[in-house]
Amino acid sequence: MKQFGKSALLFVAIGLLIYAGLSFATERLLLRNGHSNPFFKIATAEANDYDWVILGASHAMPLDFGDFNALMQRETGLRILNLAAQGTGPLYNRFVLEHFLRAHHTRNLLYVVDSFAFTSRAWNEDRFADGKLIRGTPFAPAIARRLGNYVRRDGVDPRALLDYLSGFSKINNRDRFQRDAWEGEAQFDRVYRSSATAVAQRIAYLYPDATTPELCARYLKQFADLIATAREHGIRVIAIKLPLPALFRDRLPNEAAFDDAVQIVLTERAVPLRDLSAALDNPNFYFDTDHLNRAGVTESFQQLLKPLLMTPGR
Amino acid sequence: MLFTSLDFFLFLPLVLAVFALTPVAQRWAVLLLASYVFYGYLRPFNLVYLGAVTLVIWGCGWGLGRATQKPMRVALFVLGLIAVLGSLTAFKFYDFIAGEIEHANLFANLKLPRLGITAPAGYSFYAFSAASYLIDIYVGRLSGKQNLGQMALFTAYFPKIFAGPIERATNFLPQLLSGLQADPVRFALGLQLIGWGLFKKVVIADNLAPLVDHSFKIVAFAPPLELLISTYFFAFQIYCDFSGYTDIALGISSLFGLTLMENFRRPYLSRSTTEFWAERWHISLGSWFRDYLYIPLGGSRAGTLRRAINVMVVFLVSGLWHAGLGYGVGWTFLVWGALNGAYQWAGLATRGLWRRVGEALPRVAASAWLRVLRIVITFHLILLSWVFFRAGSMHDALLVLQKIGARLTDLPHLLTIYPFSAEQLTGFGLIAFLLVYEIVDERRPVFQRLAAAPVALRWGAYYLGIFALLLFGRWQAKEFIYMQF
Repeated sequence: MKQFGKSALLFVAIGLLIYAGLSFATERLLLRNGHSNPFFKIATAEANDYDWVILGASHAMPLDFGDFNALMQRETGLRILNLAAQGTGPLYNRFVLEHFLRAHHTRNLLYVVDSFAFTSRAWNEDRFADGKLIRGTPFAPAIARRLGNYVRRDGVDPRALLDYLSGFSKINNRDRFQRDAWEGEAQFDRVYRSSATAVAQRIAYLYPDATTPELCARYLKQFADLIATAREHGIRVIAIKLPLPALFRDRLPNEAAFDDAVQIVLTERAVPLRDLSAALDNPNFYFDTDHLNRAGVTESFQQLLKPLLMTPGR
Repeated sequence: MLFTSLDFFLFLPLVLAVFALTPVAQRWAVLLLASYVFYGYLRPFNLVYLGAVTLVIWGCGWGLGRATQKPMRVALFVLGLIAVLGSLTAFKFYDFIAGEIEHANLFANLKLPRLGITAPAGYSFYAFSAASYLIDIYVGRLSGKQNLGQMALFTAYFPKIFAGPIERATNFLPQLLSGLQADPVRFALGLQLIGWGLFKKVVIADNLAPLVDHSFKIVAFAPPLELLISTYFFAFQIYCDFSGYTDIALGISSLFGLTLMENFRRPYLSRSTTEFWAERWHISLGSWFRDYLYIPLGGSRAGTLRRAINVMVVFLVSGLWHAGLGYGVGWTFLVWGALNGAYQWAGLATRGLWRRVGEALPRVAASAWLRVLRIVITFHLILLSWVFFRAGSMHDALLVLQKIGARLTDLPHLLTIYPFSAEQLTGFGLIAFLLVYEIVDERRPVFQRLAAAPVALRWGAYYLGIFALLLFGRWQAKEFIYMQF
């Protein structure tokens, strides 16, 4: 029995060594193939000081697809870093912002508001445990500590922390040799003919839980905390609703009630909200049911966003 | 709780630790408690079903052990069987049959009420185990004076509750009475079985699953060659999924010093469909049907015609038992059962002919190429039946066969121009690895070979297996197919 125990210990020790080697290799691979993960962008950011940081869910991501962020920077002369990530609500975005502010600074924060991200755990607490996000997040003790705080304080699943610390999702990544880009980016130049069925499916996906005032209030509070964090660092915050096609926008559940609720939070904190959701109804501006394509982003930027980004703060 | 979840990997060591610290005589109680936690973890209400089945069957068995009058014995026996198997039938089929009756429009504007519930996870398995307990008491193979707690463990034992093996009380309960103790050799064997089962499930089955699901989702849109490839993939997906679960169940049991019955024995190396069903595939279900249905119906002793009918009845009931799987309740399962029953008929009808051919040409009969040919033919007969098992409807199953059949002669050409995806090539690679493993295992078990191998080679094989699980396993993917029964 004693011999069996010794052998087992040695076996485990060798196994752990191999695992450590594998973890190191996958971490190196991530630095080579990383692309759209906000923590990867922070880790590889060229500058420490930015004019604008963009946060939000996937609707904000097309602003950084292809060479668009570089184009926006060229045309405005501003430094812009887009840290939006697919399916992320205010809780995850606060996590991103806090880590960004650890070693960087921005003068302005543009938060792209989407009602779905304020209605479910799926886009907030549960989002932290998504293997796709974890595998794109480079390992850093500071991120691990902060994630530990979110587990302790905000009800994030401890398995997210375990996964991050063990590097399991990175080792188990089937797309380990591919660029870590959201699949939407490959469709950026596409024009999509939407249908009522596709929109209904998409809405059902985005709003998995019944929208309750309690849930919404909880995530509005997280949003308010995010604004407070930004303010503590002297950052001007602007909230924005990006254009959505009419077919999609009209199906959003309780959107008017959400608008009223978010407006109250923003007014109390003197944060302006620019609602551009009805600005581009033409379906030619979207690459799927609800994401702007290159033409849509170009139009939004030239007509609506550029003046906003170039308005100096007080 | 899934065997492939992180929760389970935390749960199992905890149970093992408590088990090891508990006196031998009380260890079964630890397993009973662990089994209820395991089963009620995702849906606590399921424990009500489990408790009801346990109490009803134990109570009827207890009564049978004391009743001396035949009418009383028969009444208790029938009551117990109706409660368990009747509820299983109602869970599985009532809503489907009600829908079919309404659909047939036999009675104008008939609206039948619906149960609106499905069988709880694993019900088909533990209902059959519980039924076997009662039948064994009724026919005198088992005493009715069983300890309620140990009988409850027999029904609820967590490694087997979701997908078997459909254990027999005559095998299980005596092990509890003699006390549960694991030794290092059995412990190591258990870990190997768990590892191999996980490999089959998360590396092979779950990597094949998305390819199969994609083709069978909308059959009309899938090209014939893709459907053919997916049908082959499904044969290995369901085997690795189900036998992977069994291996894990057997492996976990070894950790606790318990031996469960063997459920799979390299089924795709069968040389006949009879061998496939009787000796190699889902052995615990096959032997259940043999002992509790086929033999009571008269088995092979009541003449050729009666035998043929008995065989078909067994396979049709087996088809019904499989209905309700994730692929829905439909006529496809009945056709699947009937097709496999027909294979047995063909086997029975030609058995004499093959024996005479074997006697006339003994060298041919013993040749390796004939053995391989028989294996290939048997595999493809089973493959044909899997189409009905997997397809969502009879229409889909026939469309799959029609589309493949129409392009069968073009296949060699299509194979040369088909743009195989990396996932498909990986699937073929995994299947090839599995087949090589099973052929080697057929001659002498791989675990035995490893035990006799030098330490460096043995440990190297273990590390390869473990890191293959970590690198290529789909851990967040799917529950086990047979859990949905």
